[in-house]
Amino acid sequence: MDWVMLKEYLPFLIPLVIAQFTLSITALIHVLRHPNYRFGNKVMWVLVVMFIQFIGPALYFALGRGEE
Amino acid sequence: MNGYLAFLKKEIFEYVKTYKLLIMLMVFTVFGITNPLIAKLLPEILESLINDKGIISLPEPTAYDAWTQFFKNATQIGLIVMVILFSGVLSSELSKGTLINLLTKGLSRTAVILSKYTCMVLVWTKSIALCFVLTYGYTVYLFPKDETSNLLFSVFCLWLFGLFLLSALLFSAALTKSNYGCMLITGIVVVACMIMNIISSVHKYNPISLATDNMGLIMNSIEVSSLYSAIMISCLLSLIFVSLSVVIFQKKPL
Repeated sequence: MDWVMLKEYLPFLIPLVIAQFTLSITALIHVLRHPNYRFGNKVMWVLVVMFIQFIGPALYFALGRGEE
Repeated sequence: MNGYLAFLKKEIFEYVKTYKLLIMLMVFTVFGITNPLIAKLLPEILESLINDKGIISLPEPTAYDAWTQFFKNATQIGLIVMVILFSGVLSSELSKGTLINLLTKGLSRTAVILSKYTCMVLVWTKSIALCFVLTYGYTVYLFPKDETSNLLFSVFCLWLFGLFLLSALLFSAALTKSNYGCMLITGIVVVACMIMNIISSVHKYNPISLATDNMGLIMNSIEVSSLYSAIMISCLLSLIFVSLSVVIFQKKPL
C-alpha cells in the first residue's frame, strides 16, 4: 500500500472508520453502563467490542446485552 | 387505527432502544461501502496471492461485479441478520408478559400484528435503501463508464422478497412460542421455496426467483416481464401470511 493507493481509497476508508468507531463507542458506553450480561463479564465484552471490528458490537447488542 | 399508530410508535421506539435499528443500519452501511470496494480490489488481492505463477490474467472489474457483491451480501448475510434480529418480534413480549396490560386495556390484537409488520417493513426498507444508495454512489465513482439496466426494478424485487420473508417470519412468530421456533419455520419456508425452484416450471411463480434473478435482470439476460407472476405470487403470499398470523394471534393464549 503506497500513498497514491491510499489516497485513492480514502473515500472508502473514512466512512468505514467512522462507522466502526460509532459502533464500538456506543457499544463500549453500553457495556460500561449496564454491567449485567446474558453471559461473560465486563472485561471480556470490553475487549470484544473494542477489538473485533463490526462483528463485536453487533454480537454484544444481539447476544450479550442483559435485560434491564 | 389509534391503537395501531400508538403501537407503531412504541415499536419504533423499541427498535431504537434495543439497538436493533442501529445494527441493521450499520450492517447494511458496511455492505454498501464494501461491495464496490471488494469488486474493485478482488483481482489485485488474487494476483498478490498467485504472484509466483504469474500466468493467470484476471479480467478488469466492472460495475457488474459490484452489483454481484451487492446482491450476494444483501440476500445472504443481510437477510440472515434481519431474520435473527426480528425473530423475537412476538416471543420476547409474550414471555415478558408486557403485552397483556395493553391488550386488556382495549388494544386490538389485529393492531398489534399489523403495527409489528409495518415496523419491520420500515426498518427493512430503510436498510436496503441505505445499502443501495451507498453501493450505487461508490459504483458510479469507481466504474463511471459501465452501464447497467433494470437496476431499480431489480432492487425492488429484492425488497419485495424481504417483505415476503418478513410476513413468513411474522406468521411463524404467531405459530410458535420461542424465537428459535420462529427462525426454524422461516428457514423451512425459504428452504421449501429453494427446493421448489429445482422444478423449472415453478421457477416463474416462485417468490425466491425475486432474490436469485437480480443479476440476470441487470445484465439484461432475463426479461422483466418474466418476473411479473413471481411478484404477484409474493404479494399474494405475503397478504395470506399476514392475515393468517392475525387469525392465529387472535386465538393464541397469552
